[in-house]
Amino acid sequence: MLLGLQVGSFESDFKVVSEALFNYNSNDTTHFAIMHLRLPRLLLALVVGASLAFAGYLMQAMVNNGLADPYLLGTASGASLGAVIVFFGFVDMVIAGIYMPPVFALFGAFIVTLAAVALGYRKRQLIPSQLILAGIALSSLTTAILGLLTFLSDSEGKLKSVIFWSMGSFERASWDMLPYPAVAVSMALLFFVFYQKQLNILLLGADRAQALGVKVARTRWVILLTVSLVTGFAVASSGSIGFVGLIIPHVTRELMGSTGRWNLLFCAFIGGFFMLLCDLLSRLIYPPAGLPIGIITSFFGVPFFVYLLVRKSYNFKD
Amino acid sequence: MPLCLLLALFSCNPNEKSTEKGIIILKDDLGRTLTLKRKPERVLPLATSMTEMLYAVCDTASIVGRTPNCDYPATVLSKPVVNNYPVDYEAILRLKPDLVFTTEGITPLEVAVRLEELGIPVYYQKYGSVEDVFRGLEDIGKIMNRSQQAKYLTDSLRQQVTKIKERHAGTTKLQTVLAITWKDPIYVYGQNTIFTDKLKILGSQNVVKQVYDQPYPALTRESILQLDPDIFIGGTPEELEKEFFTMYPELRKIKAYRTKRMYDPTGNLMERPGPRVVESLLELEKFLYP
Repeated sequence: MLLGLQVGSFESDFKVVSEALFNYNSNDTTHFAIMHLRLPRLLLALVVGASLAFAGYLMQAMVNNGLADPYLLGTASGASLGAVIVFFGFVDMVIAGIYMPPVFALFGAFIVTLAAVALGYRKRQLIPSQLILAGIALSSLTTAILGLLTFLSDSEGKLKSVIFWSMGSFERASWDMLPYPAVAVSMALLFFVFYQKQLNILLLGADRAQALGVKVARTRWVILLTVSLVTGFAVASSGSIGFVGLIIPHVTRELMGSTGRWNLLFCAFIGGFFMLLCDLLSRLIYPPAGLPIGIITSFFGVPFFVYLLVRKSYNFKD
Repeated sequence: MPLCLLLALFSCNPNEKSTEKGIIILKDDLGRTLTLKRKPERVLPLATSMTEMLYAVCDTASIVGRTPNCDYPATVLSKPVVNNYPVDYEAILRLKPDLVFTTEGITPLEVAVRLEELGIPVYYQKYGSVEDVFRGLEDIGKIMNRSQQAKYLTDSLRQQVTKIKERHAGTTKLQTVLAITWKDPIYVYGQNTIFTDKLKILGSQNVVKQVYDQPYPALTRESILQLDPDIFIGGTPEELEKEFFTMYPELRKIKAYRTKRMYDPTGNLMERPGPRVVESLLELEKFLYP
């Protein structure tokens, strides 16, 4: 965290960072950069990492499948499409003083997720396999629309916006934006710490969970709502970042066991910490702008995950 | 006599050789060797800036088409349109050009390879300075047998540049300028662009001094805060307030914002290296010395 606060265009050692934190001088531009650019960026990375890992954990429990991730219902591609619609000039960039891409990203995420849910809802029940298929189909459709818009783009700048959005970046982080994803993930985490038992029983399969007294249908709705909300805010603030939501839940189970009591908190913590590290690496490798964060998460995450797989034969429901 | 003149003209161009059978061998700015069966009479530009270059030097009848974005000079609008992204090979073949002109970074090399397989050589130009643009005009003149016209033009343009340079020769405190090409993410005119040379001619400097691999690098808000430019080019103060500083309120600390020195350049003049480079210099001069 401290190292993250030291890396940037302005020269700043540990002393300058501690001065900025504890003895802030508003006329000092280095202090300003540390407090208004670097700190919100670090916190956003933490929050988004935690959100995606946590949402991934929930999603895998809900559909009882280790290949699920928070983007399974088309949330990420919906968000990308929403943002890109603004970048491509279909909507004003700023309306009533509010920067529109994150707002439309949030709308896009919710609309596509809702559509997937509507398609996966049969006989007053959410059917996971239908939900997954609906999510995949809608993701493909939104990706195709995104591809069409990109192809028809008349400027290189627009393409750059799409690239940064689809691979994720924390460069837009600010104190104004941070509370939305932060409050969403904190509330959800708090709720699920008390709800974790039902989650673990759900891993036994819907029938057995029902027999053990878990209201499966209701639990699935609660998970779905939480995942959509948490992922929607995460994607709207930093674009879609792959890998974290899929792999970190597995890392958690590998380290803490499948039904550990503190799994959710640990998963969110590891996700946040991993994202923080990736952001730092991206800025160190390619200063000053940093590489798109999605590239780093895969580059550094996959070898670690392979190591975990090889070291010990790991199974989803062990 | 005309043949002698032709040979004399060929000999002016160090990048051009004529063989006994009338085959012409050219070397373009990327160092690629091109073989032409005869002196080109039908040419096609695949970049908007190249259209302006060709119109300034060539007989307009020899220009057989344009790209969808070519809009200057106005007469170009009557030419057949050829898609350059993605490249419409059939449309190019139908126009039967002897030579395609383009600029580095606009047409991918694999497109040139494919066109050459189809029998149409592609000549690339690249420009790092205002002088490179003038040299480019002269090269086109030599290739198209219009050296005299090109020379008249470049002499006049060079004179105007010299006059502009003289006006700012004694400037001691160089103003620093940041010009953006895109707002989200923030992409800027880097050190290795013609823009840097234009600023040098105008007695000022590009605030981006670090040389990046890309001509238009992406910058963070923090790096812009650190660069703290005197002048910001990328839109009118009102537009920038609405579309840039609302998004990045932290950047309101830069000097250009505080002193309201923000300007909106004519897009085509800033972006297109071509014969209007002097017009672009004069526009920038108004921004720098209001």
